[in-house]
Amino acid sequence: MAAASNLAHAAMGDTTDVALAAGGDRQAFERLYRTHANRVFSICARMSGSRTKGEELTQDVFVRTWEKLPQFRGESAFSTWLHRLAVNVVLNARKTEGRQASRTDDGEVDDERWDEAARAPMHIERMDLTDAIAGLPAGARRVFVLHDVEGYKHEEIAEMMGITSGGSKAQLHRARLLLREALER
Amino acid sequence: MTSSNMTCDEFDTALPDYLEGTLDDSRRAAVEGHLSECVRCASMLRDIENIQKGAAAMPDLVPSRDLWLGIESRIAAPVIPLATRPAPQRRMAPAWMGIAAAALIASTAGITYMLTANSLRPAKSSTVAAVTPSSPLQPTNGADSGVPAESTSAPSPVGAVAVTRQPDVTGSRVAARETPPPQRIPVQLVSQSSDRAHSDVVYGREIEMLQNIVSQRRTQLDSSTVAIIERNLQIIDAAIAQSRAALARDPASQMLDQQLTHALDKKVELLRTAAMLPAST
Repeated sequence: MAAASNLAHAAMGDTTDVALAAGGDRQAFERLYRTHANRVFSICARMSGSRTKGEELTQDVFVRTWEKLPQFRGESAFSTWLHRLAVNVVLNARKTEGRQASRTDDGEVDDERWDEAARAPMHIERMDLTDAIAGLPAGARRVFVLHDVEGYKHEEIAEMMGITSGGSKAQLHRARLLLREALER
Repeated sequence: MTSSNMTCDEFDTALPDYLEGTLDDSRRAAVEGHLSECVRCASMLRDIENIQKGAAAMPDLVPSRDLWLGIESRIAAPVIPLATRPAPQRRMAPAWMGIAAAALIASTAGITYMLTANSLRPAKSSTVAAVTPSSPLQPTNGADSGVPAESTSAPSPVGAVAVTRQPDVTGSRVAARETPPPQRIPVQLVSQSSDRAHSDVVYGREIEMLQNIVSQRRTQLDSSTVAIIERNLQIIDAAIAQSRAALARDPASQMLDQQLTHALDKKVELLRTAAMLPAST
């Protein structure tokens, strides 16, 4: 009940701050940033498999948000719109970097691995889920994060990633099996 | 193979749809029958369901540092309003940026040529704005120039200008005495020059701030993008230099003043665009 009330309060605060920020109010925009930064960072870091890259991408997401805020029509919750924007920024960054990045054996562009120095302490006996996700091949990782962590449907993922719904399902299953294997080690 | 007539391989194939809940009744019954008899497959299902639950319940990650400062510096809004803010901004293709800058140079050079040519023609003065026919070197009336109609002797930033104004008896003219003039500048220019100087300070501050941001972000941007930005900045800088030179020769020209402002706007706009570019584009 209290959680629902907090969510409603946050949404109301968002509405006001979104309107102010769309008009150029940077303080309102900073409040939006403070409210949503961790969530956006989580999406960026998990999808890219790198905390460092996730921080860069988070900044890109909020700069893009600032630019696009005047186009936000309020047809969905601001958080929904923002998270979708974050996903698009990550996917577009991948496309750009794809030209320069190395390719793995299975033909997928491989991301920078989860930074050893920056990551949270890892269990010694068992790899934790965060690290295991970071170790997935890029395509499988993105689908897994979008579906199992962020809750997108296969049709939405297919549209965002430019793949088929069947391809999304296949990547998800592959990701789950690889995670199981990694976590069992 | 188990008594449910489903093999482990068949189970593996059916598992994604089983987890999605998209199997028809008979297939789902076969999967569940197999699960009740096969430890390996039951264990796999349990593990994957745990992964699903774990993934859905993952807490948010926290950045290692406050990212706001970096964001704020990139969205730092303009001291100088250009058009209107962030209406859907189209990213200008590099080729168009080049063409736009070339057009700017061409127009500036053309105007400079016209004005320079005019100023070299004998017996035609182009320096004085709004003067009476009988006194071509007299300054304009203070009411027109925005300068109070009283004695002023402050030196103009542009050159030797000291104008003494006296009340005009007839009300139609302003009498003026000037110090030995290499070039005479009407009172209007005192105001225009000080506006220009103020404008230069504001632009200078804005450009310096944006250049700092762009230079800090150099490593995050694609090298070809950086090269294009630098090339276009050189073109715009050349246009600015030409406008300044022409304005020094003809400080009265509002057109040249506008050209200079336009070129400075272009520079601010390009730097601002570069400052807000996403990383590695």
